[in-house]
Amino acid sequence: MVSLVAVSAAGHAAGATAARPGTIRGRVELRHVPPPVERRPSIAELGGPTSAAVRDLQDRARAVVYLESAPRGAFEQSEPGRAMMDQRNETFVPHVLAITTGTTVDFTNSDRIYHNVFSLSKTEPFDLGRYAVGHSKPQRFDHPGIVRVFCDIHSHMNAFILVFSHPFFAITDADGRYHIDNVPPGTYNVIAWNEGVSSEPRSVTVPDAGVADLDFTLR
Amino acid sequence: MTTWLKATPLAIAIVAATSLPARAQTLPSEPIVFGDGRLTIGGDAAVSFAPQDPGFFNYTDYEHSTLRILRIDLTAALKADDHLSFLADMRSENADSPRPYALYARIRPWTHRALDIQIGRVPPTFGAFARRTYASDNFLIGYPLAYQYLTSLRPDAVPASAEELLKMRGRGWLASYSIGDQTPYRGVPLVSAFTWDTGVQVHAASDRVDATASVTAGTVSNPLFHDDNDGKQVAGRLAFRPVIGLVLGASAARGPFVSRTAARGAVGDGNEGRFTQTAWGADVEYSRDYYVVRVETILSDWTLPIVRAPNLNLPLRAFSTSVEGRYKIQPGLYVAARLDHIGFSQITGLTATDTWDAPVTRVEVGGGYSLQRNLVLKLSYQYNSRDGGRVHTLNLAAAQLVFWF
Repeated sequence: MVSLVAVSAAGHAAGATAARPGTIRGRVELRHVPPPVERRPSIAELGGPTSAAVRDLQDRARAVVYLESAPRGAFEQSEPGRAMMDQRNETFVPHVLAITTGTTVDFTNSDRIYHNVFSLSKTEPFDLGRYAVGHSKPQRFDHPGIVRVFCDIHSHMNAFILVFSHPFFAITDADGRYHIDNVPPGTYNVIAWNEGVSSEPRSVTVPDAGVADLDFTLR
Repeated sequence: MTTWLKATPLAIAIVAATSLPARAQTLPSEPIVFGDGRLTIGGDAAVSFAPQDPGFFNYTDYEHSTLRILRIDLTAALKADDHLSFLADMRSENADSPRPYALYARIRPWTHRALDIQIGRVPPTFGAFARRTYASDNFLIGYPLAYQYLTSLRPDAVPASAEELLKMRGRGWLASYSIGDQTPYRGVPLVSAFTWDTGVQVHAASDRVDATASVTAGTVSNPLFHDDNDGKQVAGRLAFRPVIGLVLGASAARGPFVSRTAARGAVGDGNEGRFTQTAWGADVEYSRDYYVVRVETILSDWTLPIVRAPNLNLPLRAFSTSVEGRYKIQPGLYVAARLDHIGFSQITGLTATDTWDAPVTRVEVGGGYSLQRNLVLKLSYQYNSRDGGRVHTLNLAAAQLVFWF
């Protein structure tokens, strides 16, 4: 797995002063979409689950595409961002979130049961405790890296938050397509990621005010 | 204690296999799935270390202490269709041959209604803790006294008089009586957490209320696979959730306790149905933010045959209270504590009146640290006190490593 912490300023951008930004776009094809995590066998329960957790394969098929090395000046962060990750039908929605450092994520609870969001990741360990439906708790992410998020009560609930120190990343749509806009012209290494699996970095040159196409195949 | 030595290499192997950098999330933490989710396999492994327990405060029989054990559970759920699934738990203790701890069919007649019928070796209907006995569900290493501590009563052997019972005070780990099976053997806890009963269970749930009823072969203190007295236990539990985070539970159970052989030896044929265990339980759980608090109280009455004077004062009553709590200090680190007590009713022997078993109190404090999400190291310190038996007080430190997937 390629660590997002490796992201750093790179000097590949050409003609930075007069150049107009371009776009990297393409498609990520997944040969195999990892299935959602099943509940552990509920041996000690007096009955089966009262509600079925949503098995959203489409959410799991979303990949994140990002520049391994960002152009100089990309780290001048503007306003800290805000994002949301809901807990609904014993599932984190969305399953994958890509944000920049300094972003605060609001973890809402839309279920009529307790959830307890936590992460033991080196990037951003946190534990929001138990809270009920209609409540939300914020967590700010200040360090780049991959944060695996779980619920302490429901072991089948999990999600990924990818924290970048630059804004050059995109999440694929339902068809696997992506586009990273406003990329200064230059040559970059680009990586595609899905459910803990990363592609090898692939080099692409972004022309002045132009579009560079780059497709990936994962798994 | 040879089984403990036998388990050591396997315990070391588990520890070696899991000696990864702290806080990494690299061990498998998801159940293994086959057939597009039809078959799900999970597992729990726990290895516990502690010094010798000469007072047998933590033993579940003469050989097994909850503080010195390697326990491996392999659980499986096979979903035949939307209405029928089969669930099983194969358990091995100290590397012994695996045995079926749970094995039952779960039937859901209407898929859109939370009504289940479970048939086979089913989860305990009675109480709250009995379904949290997996190490990953237990905040501490020891168990609540009511679910583990061995009283001096046995279903397969009964005392001929109050005097005989008084002689066994504080000796539940190896009790012997003159009627029934005269081989020294362990007594029973108020409610057994280590064997599940066999029968039929019906469970219905709504947003706020859970109701469960069951008919099984044994009793709460002596769950059975094969019935030993032809009498069935009837048990029920009602759990109410007035607000999220608060659970109020009440349980009751009643069934013939004494085996046919022991009853026949005491009072002749046809009387075994009269010698029952009746138990009532109440439990409360409240959780919020970073803490969980649980209180559980159990009252159990046993009716035994009266053979000769001095007569037993029936029913023989035991009353337990357990209070436990957990508080998370930071991600992956928590502290926990439990206070436990069992008291017993009095009987009169030849020379004195005393409780029929020795009252026992336990305080356990400790905590857990998540080396990774599903690999937890627990440490605890236990103070045990008993008004009888060969060891009256005992302090024990314990460590436990728990892994689940």
